[in-house]
Amino acid sequence: MGQFAQFAINGLMSGAIYALIAVGIVSVYKATKVVNFAHGYLIMFGAYFYYTFAVIVPGQPWAPEWLASWQPDWMVEMKGDLGMFSPLGAVLDWLANLPRILLGLLGAVLANAVVGRIIERTLMRPLMGQSVFAMIMVTVGLISIMSGGAQLIWTADADFVPHIAPNTPIRFELFGTMIFLFGADLVNMVIALLLFGGIVAFVRFTKGGIAIRATAEDQSTAYSMGISVPQVFRRAWVLASVTGAIAGAILATRNGISPSLGLFGFSVLAIVLMGGLDSYVGVFIAAMTVGVLEAMTQWQLGGNWAEIVPYVAVLVVLIWRPHGLMGQKEVERI
Amino acid sequence: MINGNLKSNYAADERVLNNRYKQVFVYGMALLLAVFGALANDYLILIASKMGLLLIAVVGINILTGYTGLVSLGHAAFVAIGAYAVTIFQNVTAGIIPDGIMIFFAVPFAVFLAAAIGVIVGLPSLRVKGLYLAVATLAANFIVIFLIEQDVFARWTGGMVGLTTNAPSLFGWVLDTKREMFGLIAVVGFVTLLAAQNLIRTRIGRAFIAIRDRDYSAEILGISLLRYKLTSFSISAAYCGLSGALFAYFYARILPEQFELDLSLELVAALIVGGMGRTMGPVFGVIIIVMVPEVIKITFGAITGDAAGMAQLRAPLQEIAFGVLLVVFLLKEPLGINQIVDRMLRAANRWPFARG
Amino acid sequence: MLKIENLHLSFGGIKALQGVNFEARKGEITGVIGPNGAGKTSLFNAISGFYTPDQGRVYFEGRDITDLSPDKRAALGLARTFQNIALFRGMTVLDNIKLGGHSRLKTNVWQALRYFGAAQKEELELRREIEERVIDFLEIDHIRKYPITMLPYGLQKRVELGRALAMRPKVLLLDEPVAGMNREETADMARFILDVQEQFGTTILLVEHDMHMVMDICSHIVVLNFGQQIASGTPVEVSKNPDVIEAYLGATA
Repeated sequence: MGQFAQFAINGLMSGAIYALIAVGIVSVYKATKVVNFAHGYLIMFGAYFYYTFAVIVPGQPWAPEWLASWQPDWMVEMKGDLGMFSPLGAVLDWLANLPRILLGLLGAVLANAVVGRIIERTLMRPLMGQSVFAMIMVTVGLISIMSGGAQLIWTADADFVPHIAPNTPIRFELFGTMIFLFGADLVNMVIALLLFGGIVAFVRFTKGGIAIRATAEDQSTAYSMGISVPQVFRRAWVLASVTGAIAGAILATRNGISPSLGLFGFSVLAIVLMGGLDSYVGVFIAAMTVGVLEAMTQWQLGGNWAEIVPYVAVLVVLIWRPHGLMGQKEVERI
Repeated sequence: MINGNLKSNYAADERVLNNRYKQVFVYGMALLLAVFGALANDYLILIASKMGLLLIAVVGINILTGYTGLVSLGHAAFVAIGAYAVTIFQNVTAGIIPDGIMIFFAVPFAVFLAAAIGVIVGLPSLRVKGLYLAVATLAANFIVIFLIEQDVFARWTGGMVGLTTNAPSLFGWVLDTKREMFGLIAVVGFVTLLAAQNLIRTRIGRAFIAIRDRDYSAEILGISLLRYKLTSFSISAAYCGLSGALFAYFYARILPEQFELDLSLELVAALIVGGMGRTMGPVFGVIIIVMVPEVIKITFGAITGDAAGMAQLRAPLQEIAFGVLLVVFLLKEPLGINQIVDRMLRAANRWPFARG
Repeated sequence: MLKIENLHLSFGGIKALQGVNFEARKGEITGVIGPNGAGKTSLFNAISGFYTPDQGRVYFEGRDITDLSPDKRAALGLARTFQNIALFRGMTVLDNIKLGGHSRLKTNVWQALRYFGAAQKEELELRREIEERVIDFLEIDHIRKYPITMLPYGLQKRVELGRALAMRPKVLLLDEPVAGMNREETADMARFILDVQEQFGTTILLVEHDMHMVMDICSHIVVLNFGQQIASGTPVEVSKNPDVIEAYLGATA
């Protein structure tokens, strides 16, 4: 039982990250009816930007010392007395990294927002009003451009990045067995859930969110209601880029930096479709479910097989419910 | 439409090569290919063979996406199935079926297997919006390649390391040079292109186009949407399987990484760039998709002179060029090169009476 | 020939059809009229098979087709045109009409790939039949190679009729065949519809707003208002029916 709980919790933590990635895809779809097949690569750019601002920049000769590692006297004193694996030690390590973590996150969010803006302006806007097929194929072309671009700028080497939160080991008892977690993972999950909830609340309750939903239903009507459709498009893409940046940073801390981060986009695409494409609730359920299923698969069959869980799952769900778990069936007026 | 192209009976009107120009073009092309096969150097033969292999698959994609309007981002899976099926079949039946006629069993087997799996993949996803099909095919691609890579099946599939393949033998004539294989590819390519054209001329092809243009209207004409979509899907899978089978014969080794998402996207891009829903579209597309990376390779080599450290920039550059090519065509000329050629031909036809 | 029995159809809270009952008799032209929103196109969609009624049955030649999918109904001999023209814009007039013959042809994939042989024969026969029966009949031979997008509205409607005729239908549903046409075009279309009935003996059911035309060519008329059937009878009877007059013109003070 205990092992099950451990893996289930791991799965839920992964699921939260998937949900955060998915919210970007769903939001762009809701606003523009375009599924961004290159979203995984937007995430990857976010991760690489985090790496740039949290590792490369602090590492430069012209960067101030404290950026790379903040070691005030009181901290050095405290650390001196601590043993390995002490929670306080992990917190202090985190504090030492804090400047570059913050720079990394800020840089990633801003840089990615710019990238999102550029993509929307140069690629999506000209296609406004044209077939959805064309817009989707443009995002497919974007995959190659971004994948090649990242390799060109940052090379294909793998590397590590600092955790966003203190990486303290946490132990607690659940159902009679010890559950072992890392604090950083827990914080990541909380961040992901908060952001996800925030986006959903924004789309549900604010004027901007209503504008997004109106534009999704009917562009021309939204226009005539005074909604600036180009602005809605822009907002949606920026939103996707920003959540993508945070998701990318989180993924980077978990999996390290490498071009293969882009592949997460495809498994989350499968999750989004499973959930029903335009339903935040459905996508959330799908993300959590896939996260847990992956963990279970890893537990029973070994890590390798977990890779295809989202893909098998989406095919199974489509057989059972062709519109995804909570998708809407569109009725065409004949 | 060409002026003065009038016929006196229905049979003549229904012909594909219904005017002098088209006839000259097609027969000329056939002649050109033969001469090319005999005289070109090895490097060119290699390039042309690549184009031929890709062409067969893209013709299949054209039937699915160009004519029926269904999007697949995972058809490389069927190419993989074709390639592996042919190789595994040969390995398994090596003692039983004589080498000379092996190809006549192995290839149909591979093609049928690809078509059958096409039906399985298509079945759940054809019930809904095209978007779902795109992602479902993406998923299928990942699953197929994953399964091929697994150690569990490595006994048959060779796992990550791949399989070595044999040269095919036609009644004892072993096609072990690239040139001879090119001949085979060219002939098969020609025939499959012709077959696809035939398909479009009949009720089946028309049904496909009807589904693409307005599916409810197709339904009231008696076209069962699921049945025809599935047919289109499995025909395109069969074409890709055939391409894969020839691919396995052409190259000395097949690896799972050759059939990943990149190939699927290449197929779709070739179709879009060349021109969807037209016979010559795949031909134009394949030429561009193969030539652009080669041109980049050559110019890159010329500029950097093989300097160390620059070499690793070449692959990303090719990738970016590919994406840019696709995006530019989508933004500027979504009907592909075929449309550009059409415009030029129309202008030439009218000259000197009208410009543009 | 085509019998509608107690048809009820609703979309969520909207009751599109409430108890429609009539028969389109064999070889006759029956009209369905009513103000906008009366449910005429919903009725057609239910007959075609796009909507499943909540209640009631549809009978075709005595056979219950209520649960059949649209493509199966076509195979039985039910053809239809649409209010907003549903021609295939990627094809020529000739190809569109050839599609009408789809369910009667037999070519399978293998024959199609080969073409020379069975498929070619069937194609040429189809071509011959369409030329004689449809293209000459509707006088559209001068535009048969044109892509649909090049045709004016009136001709497109005629081509759609031609496509339906290529099905050799037993029952033909026409959804507003003369919508948006001027006097001349309407007269032409009316003539063609009458020709279809006389020459091919087709049972015709049509929805229309143009009263003159409907009164002229229909032998039997059904009137719908807000999904309910408020009258049914000969043109003369219906035009004198007080409920019908009220539905169209409003009650007199």
